[in-house]
Amino acid sequence: MGYAPVTPAIIRELKEILGDKNVLVDEEKIEAYSHDETNEEEYGHMPEVVVTPETAEQTAAVVKLANREVIPVTPRGAGSGLSGGAIPIFGGILLSVEKMNKILEVDFDNMVVTAETGVVTNDIISMVKEKNLFYAGYPMSVQTCYLGGNIAENAGGGKAVKYGVTGRYIQGMEVVTPKGDIVSLGGKLAKDVSGYDLKQLLIGSEGTLGIVTKAIVKLSGLPTASAVLLVLYETARQAIDSVPVIISNGIVPTSIEFMDKLSVQTSCQYLNETLPYENCGAMLVIEVDGSSAEQVESDMIAIGDLCMENAAQEVYIAEDRNAVERIWNVRRNIAEAFKVYSPIQSLEDIVVPTAAIPDIIPELDRISEKYSMKIPCYGHAGDGNLHATLVKDPEMSMEEWHKAEPEALRDLYSVTQKLGGKISGEHGIGIKRRDYLEQLIDPVELELMKGIKKAWDPNNIMNPGKIFN
Amino acid sequence: MNIIVPIKQVPETSNVKMDPETGTMVRSGVESVVNPLDLYALEAALSLKDSHGATVTAVTMGPPKARKVLDMAISMGCDDGVLVSDRKFGGADTWATSYTLSEAIKALGNVDLIIAGERATDGDTAQVGPGIAAWMILPLATYISDIEVESEKCLIVERLVEEGYERLRLPLPALITVVKEIASPRLPTLRGKKKAMQTEIRTLSTENLTLESTNLGLKGSPTKVVKIETPKVTRGGTVVEAMDDASVTEAVDRLMDFLRQREVV
Amino acid sequence: MSYIWTLAEQANGHLKQVSFELLTRGRKLADSLDTKLASLLIGNGVSAEALRELIQSGADEVYYVEDPRLASFSCETYSNIMVELIKTYQPHTILAAATSSGRTLMPYVAVKVKTGLTADCTELDIEETTGNLLQTRPAIGGNILATIKTPNHRPQMATVRPKSTRPPEPDADRDGKIINVPFKEEWLDGRVEFLGYRKDAGDFENIEEADIIIAGGKGMKKAENFKMLRRLSDSLEGMVGATRDAVDRGWIGYSHQIGLSGKTVSPKLYIGAGISGSIQHLAGIKTSEIIVSINNDPEAPLHKIADFAIVGDLFNVLPELQKRLEGGK
Repeated sequence: MGYAPVTPAIIRELKEILGDKNVLVDEEKIEAYSHDETNEEEYGHMPEVVVTPETAEQTAAVVKLANREVIPVTPRGAGSGLSGGAIPIFGGILLSVEKMNKILEVDFDNMVVTAETGVVTNDIISMVKEKNLFYAGYPMSVQTCYLGGNIAENAGGGKAVKYGVTGRYIQGMEVVTPKGDIVSLGGKLAKDVSGYDLKQLLIGSEGTLGIVTKAIVKLSGLPTASAVLLVLYETARQAIDSVPVIISNGIVPTSIEFMDKLSVQTSCQYLNETLPYENCGAMLVIEVDGSSAEQVESDMIAIGDLCMENAAQEVYIAEDRNAVERIWNVRRNIAEAFKVYSPIQSLEDIVVPTAAIPDIIPELDRISEKYSMKIPCYGHAGDGNLHATLVKDPEMSMEEWHKAEPEALRDLYSVTQKLGGKISGEHGIGIKRRDYLEQLIDPVELELMKGIKKAWDPNNIMNPGKIFN
Repeated sequence: MNIIVPIKQVPETSNVKMDPETGTMVRSGVESVVNPLDLYALEAALSLKDSHGATVTAVTMGPPKARKVLDMAISMGCDDGVLVSDRKFGGADTWATSYTLSEAIKALGNVDLIIAGERATDGDTAQVGPGIAAWMILPLATYISDIEVESEKCLIVERLVEEGYERLRLPLPALITVVKEIASPRLPTLRGKKKAMQTEIRTLSTENLTLESTNLGLKGSPTKVVKIETPKVTRGGTVVEAMDDASVTEAVDRLMDFLRQREVV
Repeated sequence: MSYIWTLAEQANGHLKQVSFELLTRGRKLADSLDTKLASLLIGNGVSAEALRELIQSGADEVYYVEDPRLASFSCETYSNIMVELIKTYQPHTILAAATSSGRTLMPYVAVKVKTGLTADCTELDIEETTGNLLQTRPAIGGNILATIKTPNHRPQMATVRPKSTRPPEPDADRDGKIINVPFKEEWLDGRVEFLGYRKDAGDFENIEEADIIIAGGKGMKKAENFKMLRRLSDSLEGMVGATRDAVDRGWIGYSHQIGLSGKTVSPKLYIGAGISGSIQHLAGIKTSEIIVSINNDPEAPLHKIADFAIVGDLFNVLPELQKRLEGGK
């Protein structure tokens, strides 16, 4: 690669740009920036220096310096990523946006919020809630994630069926390019075809094309009523077959979550939940929301009826918070329940066309058997995004696991691709899936991507080694 | 068997916030739910219905919107719901509430068993269940964790007390209050929901109940609230980090010193 | 001036500790009203010596109703007795413990004698101008404190949580009267039959009586790990508590549950391990003397109200603590 090291002279220059307090070299302090939510031992890597600029101008100055000296820059949000995207695998400069954490403007006339990207996304939600507004591009998974991370990964989450993913709500942004220039893309605009849509290119680019320092996000009316259905099916196929029926009926649910038998059983046993799960092969959790309780109630009944007409064994409903929590708990505790069973796992987020979900289930069984691991399958059925998770058998040695895991992943990814799917729906490629992507992707597509990267970042200093080599 | 389950609508408290300026509870946006401990009473009644056959009627006292909890009870499998509602009932303490509810239950007639929750999570008094039993001169067994049907006229129940589990033979009619151990509540079903929507909820008020007017509502309540305050919890304590082996040892050392200093070890 | 009464409790002929705690409360009220304090005890086989202890602890009079058929609690029979004695002696105020029997009997009696009852009072006082009892109690999960009185009905009745006061220092020279109230057959209501205690309840314990509680929450991860807490509580001569999450997951029985939908405890020392501290749980532990929290989440609300908080992994901290406790301090 031939990157230059971060010398004392570079540190001095960084301190001149940022002030002493925004340049961290102390090993104890920078350790926290060496990993994200992926396995630290496997993927973690120490940066040489951590910088915390307070403005876009400081950010640009740091990037300019890095580009001049050819030092890698790894941008970082809250560090809650699941693909190693924010890990400085070549050392160099880790640039955290944590101090650019101001909500700059709430513009009710245009229904937009302008915020720096180190803002905790949840804070935007709380801020506009009292005005009965909300920011729908929020994955609702981690209450600590930053707006910047959401943009870099084009975050999805459980509500994407109705509200789509982060990209749908970003109307404008300020970006520091890999050469250290500052550029504004988009604006408070609902429409914009003035040239290429570079803003959308940045969204989901995992920090490889620049550092987003500011974003204009669109607000929507806050749904004030919601209800949840828990639908039991004898087989996974029956569960999945009713998904297109529900979606095509005209009522768009907020979420349609799928849980296979193994997921349901493990979670229910962990929670000591007494729902009659023993005789069911799969469950769907369906949430509907809206602005009136009456509308939500009638939507809930209409969807419940559809499920009953489509082979559901039973439809449970939850209209008050305690019952809603009880149902969501089954879904939310799957990962936790498996962690208790075995903490070593590979959390995947394959995405397939919704109609292909039933076909992937027997493949998971096959892979599970072949590599002697458990593979619970659950996730966002409404958009075909499944968290098929490889879980190490507690009896299996780490050595065997390290051998079996990549093989099983390769198998899983290739099946996914055959079914018209992709290997990541919302977590990103990062470092974790990079090599698999290169093997699976159409070479023409890969060339186009690399061409774009080259054009934006000729010295390959911006988050190098992510997505592809 | 004719079973009555008195239930209560309470504010959902897990998200209660206090206004730091006024020191009062922020009630706006607080959702109303069925008292979580009443779900166990409903489940106990519905299990008896499943195993021995019974008609289960949920009864609640409250404003017209409290009908929501009756809908939920019917969605879970109750046969009927009765709303005890009148402006004159407003502000009742546990004494007046148990009076009004007991009269409503008497008016329904023919009760074999009343199953109430251990207590409500808002008032937290556990007094209305025993109060109803007293008004109706029914035998009372509180904190019941298990029910066996011995005969049509008799139950064997287990009662969770400080010393363990008492076993009691309880003749019917009777009133029991149940604890969580009794059963895990079922969820409402879509079928139940549809039934609830078709069920006509009977409303009982001063118009169709014969009531002693001096026993009703705020005026008829022997207890009067004279002051409401917000307690200030001030406990700032020592915080120590124990993220690695060395700091764990140090943290536990300091904890032991602290406990010795406070003379608890 | 009519008397202040406390309702003493017994089990197997032994007075329960709470009977004495109530005397601390009652003495204060009796003194400020310049009246006498009496303790009512219903039961069987309580020795004269034990009854004298009530006097030594502050009672001026003890009414004792004894019969073999009163050995175990019966709401119906006990209430018949109380109702008649209340009518005869017309006490000013009756204090009882917020125990399974106190919380059952008192509302039953309150209805029968047509008076008010306030549950779980944390403070009791006399209003100077009227002589009314001022009863302060927490409500809505401890988020508010309500002061309540019963202005127009007598007696005024209240329950008080066990452990919320200390028992008085007994004074061997204190004088008082023990009045044996003869049992009347008409009081007996035999409808409910006491069959005995369940035999298989094993290691049953009443956490409300514990001086030290070590409680576990969701962070304990599985039932097995509660053995760690059990060992610690054995070393500390305490008892094991749990959050609703842990009980719901079946890791430990309901009798161990602390919080809004479980028990309220007031031990000298409460240690919470892997407990984040929901409003509901905090409502059940707020009156503990010392709160210690062990949790790896620095933002855990329990840390915020703890007297001593360790931000760290309980699976490292607890074994270390165990070692220290076993290592002879």
